Amino acid sequence: MQNDIRKNPAFRSQFHEMCAKVGVDPLASNKGFWAELLGIGDFYYELGVQIVDICLATRPHNGGLIKLEELCKLLNQRRKSAREAVSEDDCLRAISKLKVLGSGFEVISVGKRKLVRSVPTELNKDHNEILELAQAQGFVTVEEVEKRLSWSSGRATDALETLLDEGLAMIDDGHRDGKRRYWFPCVSSISSYVGAETL
Amino acid sequence: MAGKWLPAAELTGSGRPVLHTGEVECSLLSSVDLECEENPNFPLFKSGLLIVTTHRLLWIPASSTAAFAIPLAAVSHIFSSSSSAKKSMIKTMFASPRVRIQVSATPEGRVEEGGSRSVVITLVLRGKSDQSDSFSGKLWEAWRGRAWESAGDSGSSSGVGGGVGGGGGVMSVRMPVVGVSGILRKEQEMWESTDKSLQDAFQDLNALMSKAKEMVMLAEKMRLKLLSGSNNQASAANDEEMGSKEEMQDWLLSVGIASPVTKESAGALYHQQLSRQLADFVKVPIERAGGMVNLIDIYCLFNRARGTELISPEDLLQACSLWEKFDVPVMLRKFDSGVMVIQSKSYRDEEVLLRIKSLVLKPDALRTGISASDAAITLGIAPAMAKEHLLTAETKGLLCRDVSPDGFRFYVNLFQEIVLDDLFLVKDHGTYSAWVSAAVASR
Repeated sequence: MQNDIRKNPAFRSQFHEMCAKVGVDPLASNKGFWAELLGIGDFYYELGVQIVDICLATRPHNGGLIKLEELCKLLNQRRKSAREAVSEDDCLRAISKLKVLGSGFEVISVGKRKLVRSVPTELNKDHNEILELAQAQGFVTVEEVEKRLSWSSGRATDALETLLDEGLAMIDDGHRDGKRRYWFPCVSSISSYVGAETL
Repeated sequence: MAGKWLPAAELTGSGRPVLHTGEVECSLLSSVDLECEENPNFPLFKSGLLIVTTHRLLWIPASSTAAFAIPLAAVSHIFSSSSSAKKSMIKTMFASPRVRIQVSATPEGRVEEGGSRSVVITLVLRGKSDQSDSFSGKLWEAWRGRAWESAGDSGSSSGVGGGVGGGGGVMSVRMPVVGVSGILRKEQEMWESTDKSLQDAFQDLNALMSKAKEMVMLAEKMRLKLLSGSNNQASAANDEEMGSKEEMQDWLLSVGIASPVTKESAGALYHQQLSRQLADFVKVPIERAGGMVNLIDIYCLFNRARGTELISPEDLLQACSLWEKFDVPVMLRKFDSGVMVIQSKSYRDEEVLLRIKSLVLKPDALRTGISASDAAITLGIAPAMAKEHLLTAETKGLLCRDVSPDGFRFYVNLFQEIVLDDLFLVKDHGTYSAWVSAAVASR
């Protein structure tokens, strides 16, 4: 049964549902007999360690915000040799446990996607809306933000500058039209991700 | 005085035993007395923690000040309480089971391997009676295993490695309890024995769910009883009461119900031991990092070192919060941003602030300020920690932040030196004039 737990994401997901119905948290402590009988604790706490690793490694690139999809892909690459696939549900559970340690580990929803935050940066509603907008092309301009969200120019610039400060955005001034583009690595599509091989 | 009769055992700074190379913990029991009926001068070893390892029997008092060991090599015979009692019938009717061991001693009566005399030491198990059965079994196993003979030398301690390995052993020990919990324990044993058939049963999760539901309902009742019980108690005067409460919480933990840490109790025995183990483990990373380490880094480091039987983030948090109750040289600290760190108690903010101050007064820094990464490199700490320190310095009025397209930078705070009535007055000596000279020099 230990094997089933480790190899089968669907099995894990059903197990969690069952525990939730009964009112038990199998991941609360690794001393629980759920953990000892099924090894479920070790599975998730180890996953937590790997998630922290990956977030740390990608932070210089994305400022501490990474797409859940992306995180999952990198995790599975790492675990390929053990043939232990992880689902997004698994990641969410592991991260919800990491939350208690401070340091800002959290999953936030931006538009239809989920992003994993690993820094204590607070993102308000304005920032979220910009990130959502950026999902289309990977970047935004001040003009675009003002037009699409009907904001004043001050509001748009403020929000973008904060995102820049926190390392979540990068400036691109190299276009002929002279308009500054703000790129967001955390929402870029996977194919453009540079550091994947090194992990 | 006690050292005269029993060899001493080393303890770490946090009250955990220092294990020798190859020594592994096998069993852990609380509320155990040591008695020696033949020796009138034998001191009173009351209600301590008894640990059976592959090499020794360790006894640690509740205050964790000093510890004693009986080398298993000195044990010549083990009598369980069911075999012929040396004393009168009345004693055998006592609730607390006893395990007697015959050990070799010097002519004066000090317990030692290969001594000429032998004395009998009684282990009085004041914990729950179920424990004595599994305990004697474990003691026999450890004694028969004769692990000390295969080892070359029984000398040096193995430091953190031994502690972690021993910790692994401790964590797998069950804490059986009587009464309703005994029934539930039998339920659990039934589960383990039908493990194979459960492979199929898992296809139909409902069957398992109904069993679990029963158990959890009972567990909830127990938990409520525990919480209301602790409110009625004026103080945890009775040692036995404390022991049973801890066991109860251990058992609740095992069902997946978080153990409540109240003012009176210190939570499950599991977390207490983990707490001490952690205090030992974090010493090295903290030194390396200059006094302060991020909690999440400790989580990764500790679990990686363990390999198996990992701890959950909540286990870690519980263990750290227990440090307040014990006398350990480390503490948990939470910053305004939510970041939590473990720092050594001797760490002082002032030291770091002084270093930041000298850094920020250098001519380069006066001109362009410092960023978190600059501070990190100079101070020799992690960038995330450096940022926290800079923010703290800002709160104290030492630094001012400057947010620009170049990023987030900090400068020394000049506002304190500026006279409001005469804004352009620059005193001859002081930070303001230093800044002016630096700014002018760059042109």
